[in-house]
Amino acid sequence: MSLFGATTGFGTGGTGVFGSTTTDSHNPMKDVEVTSPPDDSISCLAFSPPTMPGNFLIGGSWANDVRCWEVQDNGQTVPKAQQMHTGPVLDACWSDDGSKVFTASCDKTAKMWDLNSNQAMQIAQHDGPIKAIHWIKAPNYSCVMTGSWDKTLKFWDTRSPNPMMSLQMPERCYCADVVYPMAVVATAERGLIVYQLENQPSEFRRIDSPLKHQHRCVAIFKDKQNKPTGFALGSIEGRVAIHYINPPNPAKDNFTFKCHRSNGTNTTTPQDIYAVNAISFHPVHGTLATVGSDGRFSFWDKDARTKLKTSEQLDQPITACCFNHNGNIFAYASSYDWSKGHEYYNPQKKNYIFLRNAAEELKPRNKK
Amino acid sequence: MGRKKKKQMKPWCWYCNRDFDDEKILIQHQKAKHFKCHICHKKLYTGPGLAIHCMQVHKETIDSVPNAIPGRTDIELEIYGMEGIPEKDMQERRRTLEQKSQESQKKKSNMDDSDEDDDDDEAGPSVQQVAAVPPQAGYAAAMVQPGIPPVAGGPGMPPGGYQGMPPMMPGVPPMMHGMPPAMHGMPPGMMPMGGMMPPMMPGMPGIPPGLYESSGMPPHMAPRPGMPHMGPAPTAGAIPSRPTAPVAQPVVTKPLFPSAAQAQQSASGAAALNSHSTAASSEPPKATFPAYTQPSVSSSTSSSSNPSSSTVAKPPATVTSKPATLTTTSATSKLIHPDEDISLEEMKSQLPRYQRLLPRPGQAHAAAPPVAAVGGIMPPQPGIPPQQPGMRHPMHGQYGAPPQGMPSYMPGGIPPYGQGPPMVPPYQGGPPMGMRPPVMSPAGRY
Repeated sequence: MSLFGATTGFGTGGTGVFGSTTTDSHNPMKDVEVTSPPDDSISCLAFSPPTMPGNFLIGGSWANDVRCWEVQDNGQTVPKAQQMHTGPVLDACWSDDGSKVFTASCDKTAKMWDLNSNQAMQIAQHDGPIKAIHWIKAPNYSCVMTGSWDKTLKFWDTRSPNPMMSLQMPERCYCADVVYPMAVVATAERGLIVYQLENQPSEFRRIDSPLKHQHRCVAIFKDKQNKPTGFALGSIEGRVAIHYINPPNPAKDNFTFKCHRSNGTNTTTPQDIYAVNAISFHPVHGTLATVGSDGRFSFWDKDARTKLKTSEQLDQPITACCFNHNGNIFAYASSYDWSKGHEYYNPQKKNYIFLRNAAEELKPRNKK
Repeated sequence: MGRKKKKQMKPWCWYCNRDFDDEKILIQHQKAKHFKCHICHKKLYTGPGLAIHCMQVHKETIDSVPNAIPGRTDIELEIYGMEGIPEKDMQERRRTLEQKSQESQKKKSNMDDSDEDDDDDEAGPSVQQVAAVPPQAGYAAAMVQPGIPPVAGGPGMPPGGYQGMPPMMPGVPPMMHGMPPAMHGMPPGMMPMGGMMPPMMPGMPGIPPGLYESSGMPPHMAPRPGMPHMGPAPTAGAIPSRPTAPVAQPVVTKPLFPSAAQAQQSASGAAALNSHSTAASSEPPKATFPAYTQPSVSSSTSSSSNPSSSTVAKPPATVTSKPATLTTTSATSKLIHPDEDISLEEMKSQLPRYQRLLPRPGQAHAAAPPVAAVGGIMPPQPGIPPQQPGMRHPMHGQYGAPPQGMPSYMPGGIPPYGQGPPMVPPYQGGPPMGMRPPVMSPAGRY
């Protein structure tokens, strides 16, 4: 992608890898480093929607901030703005017109950040940290959905302090995804609930988890007609389940695959199994990317049921990832995710966000 | 042959026609001789598995099974132990064995008396009934009856047993002719015939074998699911006798096994992939299903099966049981995740440095983690007036005003000062904003 050249952005950032002769294991894939990365683990990444010209990336972190960068066509990243919460930011998303960014934090609030005025105001309140936040744009309503560790899923009209709807969940929300008219929430204790959003959000179905371990991330995928038809669910056990909502033949269509595990070719050493931290679908090809605690990302084709690529191993886990609106850029964040507990946390270690050209590598494989 | 009717036919290798005492040994032989990768020496579980491994890992194609006799080199035929052997080859084998045994029986008929007696005893009443019946018919009957019980006893599928019979039958007449002298020959004769019965009945719609497969194939599930996906055509074509192989799950549900029904649900390919290797070898097919239903995390291991490649497991499985979501460390795998039932974020957020930042009731804490100069104040916000704009939170006060306080926050101090919207708190003493600047650390600017 680009020259790392003179960065106009403020902050130190980007002295990068490009200059060094040896390949640091912090960026073995030699991808573009985003300048001015956050100072603590990055919890979420999101690119601006197609309604906005250009590519803007927002990233929330455990340093309580959410930052916005402009990603230029030559690959350079320019830090643009930042907002703070009073607690670590766990999730962030864009509104459909790209003018607002919604951020969710451990401080039990969610905020709406108006980028034009660079003002943020609180729009939601929970009794516990908010883990997931998504913007819903329906023909007859628009709202923000927040899922929290207080076991509730609330829907907010940003103009009112009270939620327009509050749904009780069996357990704490661990991850969620929304593609109108479908929403999926995965909770603690392997709970999995699908909601339908037409008219107003309501619980559609509770699904028995296809996975046997803690749910960690979920992403909805669409069919050829661009309608949401199923989701990919990742667990802490290096496994992703592809699950269709109404498949013609569930036994055949739904499946799971293993990923993010250390090589066990040498069977004498135990195989290390890592958590899948995030899953993202390519907006054009429908192929998916998974990132894990092992510090690798992988691209998969769920229809051909094959792996397309696995990256080299970074020296830190990869905690978040996302594609931009046209699928040309894949962003992934390298920071510690606590998978090895407290002892391995090194506050001095730098956190990174990398950008990779995703146009070619995620093309689906032709089915034989 | 032996006195005991072990599966009525000694396990033999389809690829090289060698005999073995035990199916386990047969499988080890196949893995080492026929399913071993010539490049990296990795042992796979089936021919197609080997082909896929070579393709995926080494980018090489292989078109014949190593060390196989001519005519038996088909790489696409999925054979595991005694399963998957095409019917006609089975019959051929039986015939060859019969011929061999006929010769040896004629020679040894005297010595067989004792064996015969033993076998008669084992076969029980059915054999004696047979004796009363005209030899040929009786023989056939005898073939059938003793044949069935052991089979039924095994996988427990009497109807299945019958299905296996027809293929056998053609084999019977020839036997019979040769056999009249051979009621004695029965035991040895039984073997090849009975050979049809044992769990690997290629003719079966694949129920017990289906079971067996799913259970017995764990190690292969890994390459195998890869196979159908990678090369659906070849495998599908190549496994005529086991049409259900890749789709073992749906077939498995039909049956007779109540546990199988559960198994199908829980058969998350995961389970399929893994626990098998142990389950299959140690337990009869029936019991392996319960193994399926158990979440046994050990199932997550299968380190032996293509861990580096993406193993795509078919079975969808809705897990019927909800096991505790705890990590497991087994001999072959280790979950890199703290052993608790909460998420990584929950764990991390419990650290004091993150806790301190939570807003105190009624007050807003504008706190910065001790580390960074987080006072990331964007130029547009001079940090002073800010309390108003954006302060307009509909909620009562939990707005953490970013601009203020951040830099002023002393690590370790958890001042109750927080500024609430009404601001003020004593700490500032003075116009809420006004006081700040002095305290602000320059580093606060970005």
